[in-house]
Amino acid sequence: MSRPLRIVLIHPPHECEARSRALHAGLAEAGYELLASLPADFHLPEAVARLQPDMIIVDAESDARDALEHIVIATRDERRPIVMFTEDDKASSMEAAMAAGVSAYVVAGLQPERIKPVLDVAMVRFRREQQLLDELEDTRHKLAERKVIDRAKGILMNKHGMGEEQAYQKLRTMAMNKNLKLADLAQRILDVEDLLG
Amino acid sequence: MQIEKDTVRIGFNPLTDCASVVMASVLGFDRKHGIRIVLSKETSWAGVRDKLLTGELDAAHALYGLVYGTQLGIGSARRDMAVLMNLNRNGQAITLARRLAEEPVRPGLRWAQTFPTGTHAMWLYYWLAAQGVHPLREARVLTVPPSQMASNLAAGHMDGFCAGEPWNHRAVMDGVGVTIATSQQIWPDHPEKVLAATAAFVDAHPNTCRAMVAAVLEASRWIDASAANRMATAEIISAVPYVNTSKDVIWQRVLGHYEDGMGHHWEDAHSLRFHQEGAANFPYLSDGMWFMTQYRRWGLLRAAPDYHGVAQQVQRLALYREAAEMAETALPASALRSSTLMDGAVWDGGDPERYAASFAIGQR
Repeated sequence: MSRPLRIVLIHPPHECEARSRALHAGLAEAGYELLASLPADFHLPEAVARLQPDMIIVDAESDARDALEHIVIATRDERRPIVMFTEDDKASSMEAAMAAGVSAYVVAGLQPERIKPVLDVAMVRFRREQQLLDELEDTRHKLAERKVIDRAKGILMNKHGMGEEQAYQKLRTMAMNKNLKLADLAQRILDVEDLLG
Repeated sequence: MQIEKDTVRIGFNPLTDCASVVMASVLGFDRKHGIRIVLSKETSWAGVRDKLLTGELDAAHALYGLVYGTQLGIGSARRDMAVLMNLNRNGQAITLARRLAEEPVRPGLRWAQTFPTGTHAMWLYYWLAAQGVHPLREARVLTVPPSQMASNLAAGHMDGFCAGEPWNHRAVMDGVGVTIATSQQIWPDHPEKVLAATAAFVDAHPNTCRAMVAAVLEASRWIDASAANRMATAEIISAVPYVNTSKDVIWQRVLGHYEDGMGHHWEDAHSLRFHQEGAANFPYLSDGMWFMTQYRRWGLLRAAPDYHGVAQQVQRLALYREAAEMAETALPASALRSSTLMDGAVWDGGDPERYAASFAIGQR
């Protein structure tokens, strides 16, 4: 059994709107841990850093959105999902917002028992996207390493008249002897080539 | 010429420099060019961006930096964006808490701006760095909604902020802050807000976009034409559906009358400009590239972007030129311009990566 989702709710400066009350009730009923309900003031970044919520929920029409944007950029290496709640119940705009990077929309008037599945889907979706982004980053990195190794191999082949397989084995042996990663060794060869022409 | 979409929803945030977009609708320049502008008052820049991306808005009064931040995928999913025209130059400011007004600006203060990739963040960073204060290491800088700046300042939660008008003048009037620098002191005739859209919208509705730019150009010319027109503009935009404040908070700085809250009054030679015979409206490539150089400088971009390529893609020069012809607005000879900023550094669009790395204070 995994621990409950830990949520921070950002409320408008003049709270106690019906929809935010309904959301409170829905979150409690769904078994989420509501860490805090905070105003978007100067202390928000500190509070988010301290509380480390799994998810942040904010009104789509709130001027607090820009303060959140700051947190998103400041913590861009450890992203977390942001869920909007809104009066707008058009399915098309919800889908479009999610395509634009918002994790989920919670529509005002949503029955408390419907809130849990919406947030669960948002979390799953977010994790899946993070995984895809990580994989993409990983692939990019490997591709860049591949290019460096290929160029170093090319240098050995040109300068020392080696065949491709022979050049590759030579790189591997040198890397092992120097206790370096293959790509790092290849980069050193390129650097030397750069310096000495 | 077939208008692809004759009703356009344009978003704006309640600031003095939303005036040209509002006046294009109020004075009927939109109808003259065969479209109808429906204005949509927004509450945040992040909201403006999301609504542009979802198509809820067709175009918007937006921070220059918001467009480039989205184009480069800083803080949101990357999407192709368009700058249709520049809406205004100058007219923003940095406000310092009254209680600190007598001291020199020192490290360790708490500052606020309006959006992490926005113009106000860049003016504040530039200004602090020019005073020898590293904005990311020797100051605390956060994002706060403009409407909450004065109250946070009064409550002592922060020491100063950079934002658009009327919030700086409002802080002076309320006695909580002083105008320590205007944005035009940082960069005389700097670019500020733009008319933004997604690239997809522009590509599918080129004639609508031309009509929109032509209408806003005519409104811009009208506002800048006389002091009486500026006064009328201040009166109209102060109303509830627009900026929603008293006219007295707005009109002085629209007319160039400045007071800093420390007893200085002056007529500002580089106050808020909407037209300048078209110079204020042209989407210069060098203006767009400048924001990318500052993102590099402050570590928001971790690798050098293709400065020229990105600017050429975002700034819709051809479309602007055609719209300017429709509105009989003059065009500059070059898409690059040369400016000297407060620290004496010259920016002319040449070698942006070198310019970005040229500052003594930066995050590299």
